[in-house]
Amino acid sequence: MKLYLYGIIDSSDQITESIYGLEGSSVYNIPFCDIGAVVSEISPPIQGVTEGAVLEHGAVVEKLMADFTVLPVRFQTVIEGRDNLLLMMQSYYKDFKDNLARLHNKLEFGIKVIWPAEKIKENIIKTLKKGKQKDSESNSSQGRKFMTEKFEKYKIDKEFQAKADKFIKVMDTFFSKFATEKKLRKLKTEHLLLDAVYLVEKSQESNFREAFEHIKSARSDFKYLFSGPWPAYNFVVLSKQSALLTDSQQTDLLDKVTQDQMLVGADSI
Amino acid sequence: MEILDRVLDKGVVISGDMVISVADVDLIYLGLKVLLSSVETIEKLRGSPFTGPMQEAR
Repeated sequence: MKLYLYGIIDSSDQITESIYGLEGSSVYNIPFCDIGAVVSEISPPIQGVTEGAVLEHGAVVEKLMADFTVLPVRFQTVIEGRDNLLLMMQSYYKDFKDNLARLHNKLEFGIKVIWPAEKIKENIIKTLKKGKQKDSESNSSQGRKFMTEKFEKYKIDKEFQAKADKFIKVMDTFFSKFATEKKLRKLKTEHLLLDAVYLVEKSQESNFREAFEHIKSARSDFKYLFSGPWPAYNFVVLSKQSALLTDSQQTDLLDKVTQDQMLVGADSI
Repeated sequence: MEILDRVLDKGVVISGDMVISVADVDLIYLGLKVLLSSVETIEKLRGSPFTGPMQEAR
């Protein structure tokens, strides 16, 4: 039996709501100590990477998010049987617990800012030309021309980057006020000025949205994409040591797993 | 697109000590004898990550 894993939640209780996952399979929680792995049983061959399957996976995680703190698991993670899943939970238990505590009552928001790169560059070129002393081009050698062009390009790029830094700093100052963690990516492409994700306390959600609206109204020539709230897809941090618990640590954890927990879901195997 | 980006590329990745491929399914052997399969990895290795409607979206 293959178990398709959607996420790890901060509860060992059974899910009361009926949730259906991939291939219409019933979603249930397999407890391990005080946390749980949310799975559904799927039969091979495993469904391919289709848009429908991705959306089904996402929908399950979002439903869980309404009642639990969720660590979303990467699409198409399939575990061979319940015993293996419990072993995996055992090996990652400390990591999962730490993340669940850190991400409790927090939401992820995505912000993308697209700026008019061509226009920005044009303005930079104009400004640089103004400040430039006129060379007598006729006297320039080919080599000198080449070097001058290279240097001009370098100056434009440098100024372009500096402008990007400046805009991002202003925006991030607003957003960071209401966020506990963030990940920013500058100029993923020339037009995508900022691709950011912020982790926000649930109580700060409206403040964060307001900050976004404020920034949005400041530059109407920029385009903005706001998304969320999401489960913390971008903020789960697993340590490398999780699979390397000592034998005694593993024994301690196994002792915490009650006989009842070992039997949950066993009737459907 | 935002949800596709997250579900496909983000979230908990259960990693292992070594990766082997058996009968078209990627198997990751964890130190604790856990077998996991990741179809996404296979698709990436094949270089054709999407089928059907997703092709247009990319």
